[in-house]
Amino acid sequence: MSSNPISNSVNTKRDAPQARPALSAWRDWLGVIPFFLFVFLFIALPSFRLLIGSFQDSDGQFTLKNFADLMDPSILGAYWVTIRISLTTALGGGLLGFLMAYAVTVGGLPRWVRSALLTFSGVASNFAGVPLAFAFITTLGRIGMVTVFLKLLGIDLYDKGFSLYSFWGLSLTYMYFQFPLMVLTITPALDGLRREWREAAENLGATSFQYWTRVALPILTPAILGTMILLFGNAFGAYATALSLTGGFINLITILIGSQIKGDVLHNVGLGYALALGMVVVMGVMMTIYYFLRRRSERWLKQ
Amino acid sequence: MSYLSISNVSKIFGGVVAVEDFNLEVEKGEFISFLGPSGCGKTTTLRMIAGFELPTSGEVVLDSENITYKSPNERNVGMVFQSYALFPNMTVAQNIGFGLQVRKTPADEIQTTVKEMLGLIHLEKHAEKYPYQLSGGQQQRVALARALAINPRVLLLDEPLSALDAKIRVELRQEIRRIQQKMGITTIYVTHDQEEALSLSNRIVVMSQGRMEQVGTPSEIYNHPTTEFVASFVGQLNLLPVSEVDLKNGVCKLNGQLVRFDHSEPRQISDKPRLAIRPEEFQFGQAEGRNLIQGHVEVVMFLGAVVRLRVRIGEVLVSVDLFNERNMTLPRVGDEAVVNFPPHACWIM
Ligand SMILES: Nc1ncnc2c1ncn2[C@@H]1O[C@H](COP(=O)(O)OP(=O)(O)OP(=O)(O)O)[C@@H](O)[C@H]1O
Ligand SMILES: [Mg+2]
Repeated sequence: MSSNPISNSVNTKRDAPQARPALSAWRDWLGVIPFFLFVFLFIALPSFRLLIGSFQDSDGQFTLKNFADLMDPSILGAYWVTIRISLTTALGGGLLGFLMAYAVTVGGLPRWVRSALLTFSGVASNFAGVPLAFAFITTLGRIGMVTVFLKLLGIDLYDKGFSLYSFWGLSLTYMYFQFPLMVLTITPALDGLRREWREAAENLGATSFQYWTRVALPILTPAILGTMILLFGNAFGAYATALSLTGGFINLITILIGSQIKGDVLHNVGLGYALALGMVVVMGVMMTIYYFLRRRSERWLKQ
Repeated sequence: MSYLSISNVSKIFGGVVAVEDFNLEVEKGEFISFLGPSGCGKTTTLRMIAGFELPTSGEVVLDSENITYKSPNERNVGMVFQSYALFPNMTVAQNIGFGLQVRKTPADEIQTTVKEMLGLIHLEKHAEKYPYQLSGGQQQRVALARALAINPRVLLLDEPLSALDAKIRVELRQEIRRIQQKMGITTIYVTHDQEEALSLSNRIVVMSQGRMEQVGTPSEIYNHPTTEFVASFVGQLNLLPVSEVDLKNGVCKLNGQLVRFDHSEPRQISDKPRLAIRPEEFQFGQAEGRNLIQGHVEVVMFLGAVVRLRVRIGEVLVSVDLFNERNMTLPRVGDEAVVNFPPHACWIM
């Protein structure tokens, strides 16, 4: 037996795999099997199907026509409006959510406001689709309660150019689930800002503005970026809300895909696949930008 | 008027009195420690000097300027926190330069100061590292440099060493003293560690329950404590019940044995008078002209430099510290023991 602690620890390391039979290694992985199953069945397989399908015509023959069709101005326009609405609601919801989370964490609001906001956010961030559209139609639709009420007060929203069934109307509706998601993800990050950082900054002569721009925001940036990409993806893939609100009046990519696959007059499955692949590409580009921004912003984080 | 003057300062937190009628005059270049148990108001007092808390009453005057209600970022006092509080998103150099940067100091001047500070704390090689790449002791040195870089009028340290392990603590303690003396900076140091306070300070403020108990040099605090709290909080102290106290002649009885004590300082006798004496004042054996008491050894603890005994004298247990000597024969439990101590080493409380 060696009494040298270093050689001892080396020995233990070498012995470790033998001491643990293969069975127990299997057990370690057991819990994540559903995860891999899901990834395989509902991400890998469909993506593969998407890739193949986008190169096939309706008879299953190889073609590039689906991609040529993507260049159609109406389709490019649909991509553009989808990206715009995703960016708008990600930035808008992000800003709004940040301010609210700020108010209930760093700002000195009473505790119950915080629990109220967080509970609401938990619910609202999952509130989408037909119910959300319906809620907005009954409040801000042409004969919605708020619309009618404001009209009584002499303010005619729809006369002034507002429409729930427009780009901004849809953006407003999306905001309903966007900002709560920001609240949920950024609140823990704001809680993580230590009081001493603020005090140290002040003590060294920094104004509140300098503290936020040089200390707090840089520290929060990785979390903010992460949430932004989440919000973007959240809006980018939304379908039911837009469909039930505007009934296809605004041509989002998801709605286009829906109509290709569901099969009405426009039925063209191959084009649907190509459209979806286009979305994957857009998301991939966003993720790449995100990846580099995040890398830059968290050099100081323990890896 | 002194450089920093804290007058009649009190702080009440929603009914809780954290600091009560605090008065202190600090000379330029002085090293002052606030020493006291947890919750006695040390941090609160320090934070009022830094501007993070507003006094409920009283005022703080620094360099003839009343700063009581001045905001923290306009005071130009440096603060070092217990938890280091380095900005994690900045390198060591950026942390140190932060205070100058927000003051819009020219870049080359910042660079010179940062370099000088890095030299002062011996971390030149770590300038480009981030805080997470440093040990606790290194981080606290950076925090010290960051506070000093702005050339503050006063340096405030709130238990800066208590998160570090013992060896680093002693090392960094000397480091702080060296830097403080080199820069001649007026310093207030908060600690609950008496050894730190005694070894670092020009003067110590002993606090208890929001009040100042005593202000004095380390030796005054240790050798001439004015209250029972100070006497027992700083260092070890035997408080032995005595009877037949004669204050005028300085004699009393300890378990029936006559003891003479120091009666040069005016004292009041409480209804339960006790003889105060530090464990290290005792010696073993008979001696001319000293108090002698008899008992027997109940506990022997060998601590290295010191051998700590508990000697039973009738009803009371007395702590006795003897300096270790190489050829010393240790007393054994149960041994009869005679210990002696000089009359001037003990007093009545
Ligand atoms: N912001 C606050 N609100 C309410 N009470 C406070 C606040 N800060 C301090 N106190 C109270 O004031 C008293 C003094 O606290 P302080 O932090 O100054 O003690 P301390 O001497 O620094 O103790 P420690 O050694 O534990 O740091 C305590 O009773 C504490 O509970
Ligand atoms: Mg404290």
